[in-house]
Amino acid sequence: MLSKTTFQELSSKYNEPDWLINERLEAFNLIEKLLLPKMQQFKYSDWPLTINDDFALEQSALKISDNSELEENKVICQDIFEASKQYPEIVQKYLNSVSHFNEDKLLAYNTAFMNNGLFLYIPDNVEIQEPIEIEIVQNSMSKSALISHIVIVVGKNSKAKFIQHLSTVGHEKNLANLVVEVQALAGSNVEFSSLDEMEENTTLYFNRRANLARDAHVEWNVAFMNDCNTVGDLASELLGEGSYAYSKAIAITTGNQKVAVNNRVINRGPHSTGLINQRGVLLEDSRLIFNGIGQIVHGAHGSKADQQNRVLMMSDTAQGDANPLLLIDENDVIAAHAASVGPVDPIQMNYLMSRGIPYAQAERMVIHGFLDPVLGAIPKGKVKDRMLAISERKLINGQRSYYKNKK
Amino acid sequence: MATLEIKNLHVEVKDEEKKVYKKILKGVNLTMHTGEIHAIMGPNGTGKSTLSETIMGNPKYRVTEGQILLNGENVLDMTVDERARKGLFLAMQYPAEVPGVTNAEFLRAAINARRPKDDPIPVMDFIKELNKNMALLDMNDSMTERYLNQGFSGGEKKRNEILQMLMIKPTFGILDEIDSGLDIDALRVVSRGVNAMRGDNFGALMITHYQRLLNYIVPDVVHVMMDGRVVKDGGPDLAKKLEQEGYAGLRDELGLDIKLVDED
Repeated sequence: MLSKTTFQELSSKYNEPDWLINERLEAFNLIEKLLLPKMQQFKYSDWPLTINDDFALEQSALKISDNSELEENKVICQDIFEASKQYPEIVQKYLNSVSHFNEDKLLAYNTAFMNNGLFLYIPDNVEIQEPIEIEIVQNSMSKSALISHIVIVVGKNSKAKFIQHLSTVGHEKNLANLVVEVQALAGSNVEFSSLDEMEENTTLYFNRRANLARDAHVEWNVAFMNDCNTVGDLASELLGEGSYAYSKAIAITTGNQKVAVNNRVINRGPHSTGLINQRGVLLEDSRLIFNGIGQIVHGAHGSKADQQNRVLMMSDTAQGDANPLLLIDENDVIAAHAASVGPVDPIQMNYLMSRGIPYAQAERMVIHGFLDPVLGAIPKGKVKDRMLAISERKLINGQRSYYKNKK
Repeated sequence: MATLEIKNLHVEVKDEEKKVYKKILKGVNLTMHTGEIHAIMGPNGTGKSTLSETIMGNPKYRVTEGQILLNGENVLDMTVDERARKGLFLAMQYPAEVPGVTNAEFLRAAINARRPKDDPIPVMDFIKELNKNMALLDMNDSMTERYLNQGFSGGEKKRNEILQMLMIKPTFGILDEIDSGLDIDALRVVSRGVNAMRGDNFGALMITHYQRLLNYIVPDVVHVMMDGRVVKDGGPDLAKKLEQEGYAGLRDELGLDIKLVDED
């Protein structure tokens, strides 16, 4: 680890405001003390998610799609380091307001070494029509960690869609630590989609979390199409009465990849609704764990929690788990869960094949349908096309090795 | 002219509860050619659907004896998709729902599966053909972008089966109770679709309980099945006679010792 003084020097080199430097220092001091986030039935303590040797605090930029609507509606959309200088009060108010750097080792690490980020603030009563695209590319041509932090605030009764696209250039063994915080203020409507396709030598930790105020509505559509080991937490805190979160995630895992995802929705406000839908497809020797965690705390009466965790096995050597967990501390609620681990549906297969479609293609069509809760919800455009192309490619490769081994 | 021959076909199906195989077909013989429409009638539980599923190759059914030949080629050695590409089509009684795959996407995949890899159907040709056939079946445009059979009503599913047949243009279409659950208007529309296929290059095998369908699609040959065998062949008049006398009447006339399923 860097020494404290070097850290301080590096940090001030970028003219960051004092409050940010102090937060970084505070976080830095916690890294050694805090534990890794807990993942049910998954061990990853040997993964290189915090770096022990020196590295420069190189700041890299991310790209936002051109969108004239943003300016028209006085949306703040800026590099997080720029924003912390220009709008120190608001950035200080919202940075680490949803996830907190004192929760675990990896969140502390993120705040201490953050080198990439975005601050997006949508004022009250604004409706953005076009999805806002956020492009993050990790440069792995050389040794450098990507430590990204995105803060999104959607004002009261405002509405916006976001699409994040996460990818890598180069093949260096690097870590990526990705935090997204969403503050959905009262009556707001937020859709956050993401296509993650990090290269296989990366080790990825993510933490995407939303706080929902009264009557806020948040929908997550996350596609884990990475080739790398991945661990992380997708969470929605239903704080306000009548808030609604629908947390959807899909994954296709290949090779020796290990992926563990906690998908959590916590009902705190009364009459809140928390839905989870996770779909995973396992190929080759990969391992995938989908933990669905629905928690209803005492006082959240009239709430609803429902979850589905489904895993499709396309290999005899892959290992998949779909674990539903319901933690309920309130009587007046509706809660349900469904989980399944299995092969493709033979009735659907027979139907498609009876029209002349060959087995392998029919199988990909059925899988495509299985992944539809997320694939179908991603707004049309470049990122969606890319996502469909990646899933098709992964499935073709996976089928090839599966049927080769069968013979 | 193409020929579909079923010779001494014996089929059994696994009883999932008891884990034993149950004999359903006990020696079916039937020959049909393109240019002909055949109807198979028969009481419940007699093996009509088993016959159609077996011709198409549903893995649930096991052939223990006999042959199915398409232009002299043994169909039983082929996988389901091979049979389809060779020209067989089964309009199913209970079509599967496949979410995430649109009707149009599915139809295009089915058509292209029959063409060389480097020569898929041109998009405009496909759309033209699709619009023509949907108009024939009084189908709403929105059906093309809806997911395959998902949330379709019973009538919509049947129309969709006929739409697929019109698009794929098989040599032999097997229609398994295409009339069940249809009101008169829908029955008329579905029949219009089947009649549009009539011609020298198409043959159909229709499975039905009721003579009513045969007023709309007049068959050339009627076969009556009982207890896993074809017990009588005839023309359209045979169907009318059955409608009047019932299956029990024919059974007694033929002196068969068969207990009908719904008889106490």
